[in-house]
Amino acid sequence: MKRSFNPDNLLFVIPIIFFIQILSIFISSTADAHKVSAYAYREGDKILGECYFVDGSACKNSKVEVYNTKGDKILETLTDEKGKFSFTTKEKGELKIIIPAGEGHRAEYRIEGIKEQVERKEIKKEVLKEEKQSKSNQNYLDREEITKMIDEVMDLKLQGLRSEIMDLRKQMDRIGLRDIFGGIGYIFGIWGIIMLIKRKRNAS
Amino acid sequence: MHISEGVLSAPVLLAGAVLSLVGLTLGLKKIKNEDIPKVAVLSSAFFVASLIHIPIGPTSAHLVLNGLVGMLLGWSAFPSIFVALVLQAILFQFGGLTTLGVNTFSMAMPGVLSYYIFRKMIHKGKNAAFIGGFLGGALAILLGTIFISVSLIETEKSFTGVAATLLTMHLPIAFIEGIITGFVVIYLKKVKPEALG
Repeated sequence: MKRSFNPDNLLFVIPIIFFIQILSIFISSTADAHKVSAYAYREGDKILGECYFVDGSACKNSKVEVYNTKGDKILETLTDEKGKFSFTTKEKGELKIIIPAGEGHRAEYRIEGIKEQVERKEIKKEVLKEEKQSKSNQNYLDREEITKMIDEVMDLKLQGLRSEIMDLRKQMDRIGLRDIFGGIGYIFGIWGIIMLIKRKRNAS
Repeated sequence: MHISEGVLSAPVLLAGAVLSLVGLTLGLKKIKNEDIPKVAVLSSAFFVASLIHIPIGPTSAHLVLNGLVGMLLGWSAFPSIFVALVLQAILFQFGGLTTLGVNTFSMAMPGVLSYYIFRKMIHKGKNAAFIGGFLGGALAILLGTIFISVSLIETEKSFTGVAATLLTMHLPIAFIEGIITGFVVIYLKKVKPEALG
């Protein structure tokens, strides 16, 4: 029996969409997803980072592996209950952080090394200026102390910015409706093209 | 159930790609022009299904629907799932482009197996069709977890450990998808029997 194309063929979409909708209403999507992302930044010798799932929930007690530019493993640590991790390293070069979250999931993040040194120089310049000023004020503070003070102030100021960056990153990783509908559109487009090609072949 | 980029070694990736290529060519050859809308719809159902997470204990697993795709399409499940996986990798960063072969094979092949095992059942009475659909949908998930564990055999230390965690995580999924597949099968039987192929 030869069947011709009939829009009724699409009828069975209805139960599928129906089921998916019902499920998505009743099932909270706040649980862990399976795509893992990681983010980290330098703070002097210290490196602080966070690992999270695509929906923004923390990746708890996961192994964190750190590699240097040569590809050697430098150290290994664990994330805490909030998905955060930190470690200290003397490595100035690029660092690669890999988080194997098990069952075939994995996150990777690279920290550049050079930028940090530039920032440090700028801070040192400021320190020198202030040193001169304080000297002229007959109020000598040694350099280390000033560096420490500046670091503390900077940390406080940057804290808000950092959490904002983190939130933005999480938001970027989240899947939006646009992606979903776009994807469905692409799928229909691809199959439309396949159909056209097949039809042309059959005709010739 | 997606394996991320950089987890598997080259030989495993290559094996997955070759196996999937065989499935893809077979599937594309078997698709009739008038079936393409059906294939496209199931492609997008598979694409969306993995966004639906079901919390299981401390973690969660997502729907796969490879059983449904397989039961309704047979070998054409390969191209159908492949297209969906490509878009999941590009748009959601689920899985990855290098692991497409492995992921396609370990999702589509169980569906095809379900199709061959239960396709006679879904052409019988209403009850038998529901049970056939249920078993087909559930089996495809369980086989999928085993296929994924096999491909991870090199990376993870113990095969049985990974297989056990994946299996227990996906038991509820298998149950839910069994029910979905069962209902879709009896619904189609009533409304559009020829869509069951």
